[in-house]
Amino acid sequence: MNRFANRALAAAAAALLLAPAPLLAQAKDWKEIPTPPLKSFSIAKPKRVALPNGMVVLLMEDHELPLVNAFALVKAGRRDDPAAKTGLGAIAGEVWRTGGTKSKTGDELDDFLEARAAKVESGIGTTTASLSLSCLKGDFDAVLAVFDDVLRNPEFREEKIPLAKNQLNTSIARRNDEPMQIAAREATKLGYGPDSPYARVPEYATVAAVTREDLLAWHKRNVHPDRIVMGVTGDFDAKEMETKLRKLFGTWPKGPAAAPAPAPYRKEPKPGVFLVEKDDVNQSSIRLVHLGIEKKDPDYFPLEVMNEIFGGGFSSRLFSRVRSDKGLAYAVFGGVGNGWDYPGLFNVFLGTKSATTATGIDALMKEIKGLLEAPPTEEELKKAKDTILNSFVFRFDSKAKILREQAENEFFGFPADFLQKYRSEIEKVTAADVQRVAKKHVRPQDLAILVVGKSADFDRPLSSFGPVTTLDITIPPPPGEKKAATTDATKAAGRVLFSKAALAIGPAEKVAAVKDLTTKGKATVKTPQGEMELGITTQAVFPDRLRSEIQTPMGGMNQVLAPAGAFIASPMGNQDLPGSMRDEMLKQLQRSPVFLAQKANDPKLSVSAAGKEKVGEIEAQILDIAYEKLEVKWFVDPATGRLLRTSHSGTGPAGPATVITDYADFRPVDGLTLPFLHEVSQNGQKAQTLKVEEIRLNTGFDPKSFEKPAPKPAS
Amino acid sequence: MLKFRRPTGPLVALLVLAAGSASAQDLASFEKRVTSKTLDNGLTVLVCERPVAPVFSFFTHVNAGGVQEQVGQTGLAHMFEHMAFKGTDRIGTKDFEAEKKALAKVEAAFLAYDAERRKAAGRDAKKVADLEKAWKDAMAEADKLVVSNEFGQIIDQAGGEGLNAFTSWDETGYFFSMPANRLELWAYLESGRFLTPVFREFYKERDVVMEERRMRTDSSPVGRLIEQFLAAAFTAHPYRRPVVGWASDLAAFTATDAERFFKTYYVPSNMVLTVVGDVKASEVMPVIETYFGRLPKAPKPEEIRTEEPPQIAEKEIVLVDPSQPFYLEGYHKPSAYHPDDAVYDVIGDLMTSGRTSRLFRGLVRDKKVAAYAGGFPGFPGDKYPNLFLVFGVPLPGKTNAEVKDAVRAEIERLKNEDVTDAELQMVKTRAKANLIRRLGDNQGLANQLGGFQARYGDWRELFRSIDRLDKVTKADIRRVANEIFVPKNRTVGRIETKAADAAPAQPAPAAKEEKKS
Repeated sequence: MNRFANRALAAAAAALLLAPAPLLAQAKDWKEIPTPPLKSFSIAKPKRVALPNGMVVLLMEDHELPLVNAFALVKAGRRDDPAAKTGLGAIAGEVWRTGGTKSKTGDELDDFLEARAAKVESGIGTTTASLSLSCLKGDFDAVLAVFDDVLRNPEFREEKIPLAKNQLNTSIARRNDEPMQIAAREATKLGYGPDSPYARVPEYATVAAVTREDLLAWHKRNVHPDRIVMGVTGDFDAKEMETKLRKLFGTWPKGPAAAPAPAPYRKEPKPGVFLVEKDDVNQSSIRLVHLGIEKKDPDYFPLEVMNEIFGGGFSSRLFSRVRSDKGLAYAVFGGVGNGWDYPGLFNVFLGTKSATTATGIDALMKEIKGLLEAPPTEEELKKAKDTILNSFVFRFDSKAKILREQAENEFFGFPADFLQKYRSEIEKVTAADVQRVAKKHVRPQDLAILVVGKSADFDRPLSSFGPVTTLDITIPPPPGEKKAATTDATKAAGRVLFSKAALAIGPAEKVAAVKDLTTKGKATVKTPQGEMELGITTQAVFPDRLRSEIQTPMGGMNQVLAPAGAFIASPMGNQDLPGSMRDEMLKQLQRSPVFLAQKANDPKLSVSAAGKEKVGEIEAQILDIAYEKLEVKWFVDPATGRLLRTSHSGTGPAGPATVITDYADFRPVDGLTLPFLHEVSQNGQKAQTLKVEEIRLNTGFDPKSFEKPAPKPAS
Repeated sequence: MLKFRRPTGPLVALLVLAAGSASAQDLASFEKRVTSKTLDNGLTVLVCERPVAPVFSFFTHVNAGGVQEQVGQTGLAHMFEHMAFKGTDRIGTKDFEAEKKALAKVEAAFLAYDAERRKAAGRDAKKVADLEKAWKDAMAEADKLVVSNEFGQIIDQAGGEGLNAFTSWDETGYFFSMPANRLELWAYLESGRFLTPVFREFYKERDVVMEERRMRTDSSPVGRLIEQFLAAAFTAHPYRRPVVGWASDLAAFTATDAERFFKTYYVPSNMVLTVVGDVKASEVMPVIETYFGRLPKAPKPEEIRTEEPPQIAEKEIVLVDPSQPFYLEGYHKPSAYHPDDAVYDVIGDLMTSGRTSRLFRGLVRDKKVAAYAGGFPGFPGDKYPNLFLVFGVPLPGKTNAEVKDAVRAEIERLKNEDVTDAELQMVKTRAKANLIRRLGDNQGLANQLGGFQARYGDWRELFRSIDRLDKVTKADIRRVANEIFVPKNRTVGRIETKAADAAPAQPAPAAKEEKKS
């Protein structure tokens, strides 16, 4: 392969270079530059070995570097997960390797492989699971033995399963952090139907349901030679490799005949307009989606050209028109997607600032309809075909790439010459073809329009596109947080207890008369560095204003909830708080026992007796209380009605946190009896102690104190 | 076709490494395939022949990054990188003569508007508004003469792939790949963008960069933490400044500033051009000379003089935020040119690489305090004295304090116990194997060869650096660990989760600096 193996030739060439070379003519304009023909290049063909047990192996020699790389593709994918155990495939794909084999733990394999700078790794995707190998050629026999061991004898040791589950749970906890990620996920659900295995995502409950037995069964069901295509590329002799692999895998018995049922998806389109409300963004993530095609569809080739014209690179309609239109988009792309053996999605994405959401959707719909209304211009067609055909050489610029492509063709039953066919088919595509396939495969009437964003800031209401369905993306809590059962009896008992607790706070008229409540005190807060004392004055103005003034050793700040929104004001400036924080502050306000006591006759309040629990020395009775979005537990002394403790769940960034507040030091305040000591703990750890110095009722409030201070003038 | 007689024995892999001179894996074979030349104007050119497929890749390394920026003009290096895609006097314009005048008008209008709005005394609000309108009108006029994205379109249509660039503290890089029959077109385009760049759509692009800053730094808790962390860890050296630029600098710099930066630093003596693929040096070099020889000779820019003084007190940055906790610490270490550089690479690999690494086994597998953890030298760059960084992401329910304790335990092990022979050998084997793995890809090779040429003045350092790593001893590791992993040399950064509902206990999203002395 090395053209300069001959040193003499190299020396001569070097000598030539040292002599001053006459300058060539430079082109003035790029269009003047000639393009010599690309030299013809035959795409290397791998050697195909079909074993009697159905396993197919493709071998590709590559002697450039002393390496060997191999992979085994297995017919098992995430789409095969049972609904109640969504995530099983992902966990299997991970623990297949990390869980070790019958004879070696995962750690022992790690030590063995890393000492040789070799890798054997497992993985899984929608349709395919894989095991891969990479090593220096001299280690191949040893590493192949490990590869084979993991392939056929995995142990899925229990000790590695929590780690895999933790990673999946972490991704669940974070799946609503990024608007683009939310949009992609929800659009997939809209395209395939939310119950389709192509759209379902793992939940805490489905992950928890996966057992080691499930993983072993997964392997037993799927990993058989007749479900595997293997590829090997590197510095070896193909004949010797064939002998080696026939010997190793030839006696592996075929699997049972059962073919897995195809994964279902909804075939009828469900057009409509869908919104995910997200308050803490100033940009909208927009997706337009309906079903696409399978790769075997003969329209695949003209659609490749159409996709390039519509949403490919710099010259595409989406990029040059929708994006370049001043400030309309920071990202835009789209096209008719294809799956190897299942339909892809026609999927268009636009990211734009909130104030151009509707304008952006208009622009997208214009381009989508434009595909149907007229064929592309000859210039557009030429540019698109040139782009595809001129870059075609990069599809086979390495042996490994060629082998991978051939292996996938083999795996999904496509002809071996699909790569060559691709080229000639693209060359044939006409402008009329592009319009024809657009009319068939781009169907504006079938589109689901999804926006993830802050609807209050949209330039036009989303309803101008049609009736809007708001999607709830709340992450279902982990299993085990079972609420006590609610029956008529528990509700009735709850009402009685609730009345008693409300009365213990104060007589009904006095409780009802409270419009606002101001608490002043000192909080001692635990931080990892020790305790910190803060001065806090909190004013709650029912039903929807809350203002906390906090004095810290480093200075003061105000945290404010007002109908217009929530914000923090400090000497450093104002900061709007995200919607999730605003919701938390509203719940904090609503958790005030005085507030809830006022709601005794409000139909939005539901209470239910939920058992007993010891608080200190007292056997307290538990009330499950719900009001609007709030859920809280009250622990009431049955003898006095005194509220001893409240408990609620927050969903923190690290997962659910149980916050418990214990009350003590009850004193009279204007006819009510209120606690002057609050001890707060989170997940069992002491978090803060609040010593109340003063409580005042109905002082009134200055509306300005709930408005953002004016920003400093720009200097 | 070369055939190896298959060696046997336990250290098979290393024997093969020692043996082959005919295969493509070592310095000897690259000596035969790499041609190096310095043009009259000072540009260093490397051509590496790799005729695997009829394609080639290139990399342009410019020896200037965020560090070169002046105080008050951070973000310029990155800004110019954006400008380098806007075309030339011939590409991206409908009529350059007219556009040139229009752009001069835009700049004059901006400078007038900027001068008025910055007046501390006697600012006339109406005048500011009028001047702002005049500037916006001038931009609208100039925009009419632009052909958007023409540079990228030409490359796309010619079959180019992977068009991209990056700016770091140490350098700026431009790269893409082309079919082999597009060599002259590539030379025309790549030399053109540095010969006659045009600062069109400058202020619009500046807005895009400000949006990028907002997305990547301002709305990312880890991004904010790292920005504050670097500003604390480095007191004098420009590594303390963000490459994207401080927001106020971004809002303030002008096209004139960017052009000045470009003229000073984008000079051929400060650049290395590397081409790898199906190219013959004898054919390619004349084409490169024709097109890149046009870049005017200019003096090599002065190197910066500021050196970071030794850190004498431990520092800590605490960011309180509703997001996930996160922990990192950085220790000052010397630059890439220091004789111990290889020792730091060994320590980094030992701490981070894979499931057998010290941090994975200690923090993730055994103590189960972290979801992931890593440690590596060369943060944020390595041309100048930099940091060895160690970080960990606590598992749900675990704290930064627990991660910190586990990290310190691993560091103490390195200081007090020799690493085992097996571990050291593993690191060395991995380094050699990873080098081999990097040689089978045109774009990667262009990056590596050009990068080492730019950093050390000799592409051969790519191979020699592995030789140096091979000589690192257990004693070296302990000595170096004891030198740098000490409290006064340490800066800590952490994100502490703010619980949403316990009475608002700590100032939320604002960063809080606590300097301990």
